[in-house]
Amino acid sequence: MRRWLLAWMMIAAAAAPAFAAEDIVSGLSQDQIAINSSYTGSDIVVFGTIERPAAPSGRDIVVVVRGPDTDVTVRRRDRVAGIWINRDAAKFSAMPAFYFLASTRPLNAIAPADVLDRYRLGAMHLKPAAITSHHDSLPFRQAAIRQLAAQGLYTDAPGAIDFHSENLFKTVVPIPASVARGQYNVEVYLFRDGDVESVQSTPFFIDQIGLERRLFNFAHNQPLGYGLLTVFMSLLFGWATSVLMRRSG
Amino acid sequence: MEIYLPIAEMSVHWVFIVGLGLGVGFLSGLFGVGGGFLLTPLLVFYGIPSTVAVGTTLSHVTASSVSGALAQWRKRAVDFKMAGVMVGGGLIGTLFGVWLFAAMRRQGQMDLIVSLSYVVLLGSVGGLMLKESLATLRAARGGVVIPVRPVNRAWIAALPFKMRFRQSRLYLSVLPPIVIGFAVGVLSAVMGVGGGFVVVPAMIYILRMPTNVVLGTSLVQIIGIAMVTTILQATSNYAVDIVLAFFLMIGGVVGAQLGVRAGAKLRGEQLRLLLAVMVLAVALRLAWGLVAHPRDIYSTMLGS
Repeated sequence: MRRWLLAWMMIAAAAAPAFAAEDIVSGLSQDQIAINSSYTGSDIVVFGTIERPAAPSGRDIVVVVRGPDTDVTVRRRDRVAGIWINRDAAKFSAMPAFYFLASTRPLNAIAPADVLDRYRLGAMHLKPAAITSHHDSLPFRQAAIRQLAAQGLYTDAPGAIDFHSENLFKTVVPIPASVARGQYNVEVYLFRDGDVESVQSTPFFIDQIGLERRLFNFAHNQPLGYGLLTVFMSLLFGWATSVLMRRSG
Repeated sequence: MEIYLPIAEMSVHWVFIVGLGLGVGFLSGLFGVGGGFLLTPLLVFYGIPSTVAVGTTLSHVTASSVSGALAQWRKRAVDFKMAGVMVGGGLIGTLFGVWLFAAMRRQGQMDLIVSLSYVVLLGSVGGLMLKESLATLRAARGGVVIPVRPVNRAWIAALPFKMRFRQSRLYLSVLPPIVIGFAVGVLSAVMGVGGGFVVVPAMIYILRMPTNVVLGTSLVQIIGIAMVTTILQATSNYAVDIVLAFFLMIGGVVGAQLGVRAGAKLRGEQLRLLLAVMVLAVALRLAWGLVAHPRDIYSTMLGS
């Protein structure tokens, strides 16, 4: 905590003398999250300050965290001969694997829908391209967002931006354990009267480290060696069981 | 302490995984089965992706079969030639099964196929076992001996490519063992089971192997197929999680010992009845999952 507070103060101190328009400066508590053997999820803190602030009324802050893009397949089950079977499906391309949004107010109170569409703000404004076996992809998209939200991968948090003073703010982004590895982007938007006045984007990375990293790479780069090692390990365990059993006879 | 599984890409509590290995290991020791048919569904119920559950369970099956096989080998009760022929068929079956597995996954029908094969196979095997063990118990009470109905084997005797299996005292076409091995290979790749509950009856009723070599030979054959399947799942589906396998086996080693000791105190017929009830319970639970209204009719999968 102390680390990001210090960074925050440095950013505030570095604020340029006020002549230009209102602007935003933000930072992160860390630029890397390492998945190790005891990783169970973590938090990243986004903090920022408004430079050359104008009147606080009519001003909104939106913080978005986007994970790496991925394909998302949604399937719908139907009852066929008494059994529930996957029938219709929709595949969305380039949806973020993680999407967090915190805002000072509910999004539709901050900006009109076309602005939200343009900046892809809010899970329903992502509008990914869809290949679908069904004429309407909307229920599939809604289902995907609902289920990803249940896993903590999609979050919409209106009012989750804490102001420590009139111009200093922060928000806490919970990163769940089952998160995708890759580059994440944090975007901080300054809205004034329904339009974007300033944006700042900062990346951070999530990756496996240590033994987990090595095992994952081993499994994908030398799958034959990895398979043989697994087999060898299980033979060893079986042999050990046999020795133990005979000894205790 | 939570541990992170690098292939399943999720974190689990180690106590749960070791406990699961212990429980299934206990049953393996008690009944002399590999336990794959219980372990795979339990891992899936816990939330492990079904591809990883199927790919990883076979390591546990290998470990729990090795100690039994070693014991039988010391008693010279293994027909290695027969096991080798069956593993040969198993290799082709496994290749086919792993391909089927990948194709089903692309179609989004993997869970359905896995559940359906479990319900059909465990339901029929469990039902037969229950019927037989109830009849045996009743007969034991009444003092009546039930005659074993011989399977008509004339057509098997007529098959070509005959080979002498000295240990089993059989002169038999290699086709039936290859076909049985093939079937077990498919099962182990698609369902993550060793297939003992299919191999043992097949050896007794179809191949007519002497009962003293059946157990050892089936264990050796299961180990062979489980090893081949593990390597194929690792190379073609990247579905083997070595960390998960490690913690499962730690529990399995201890559980198997406890199971063998508990098994010595129970009678064979009672054990078979218990096993039949358990197999049927798993089948019913999976059948319920197929017919019950799902909590959410949609399912979401990330990645391509």
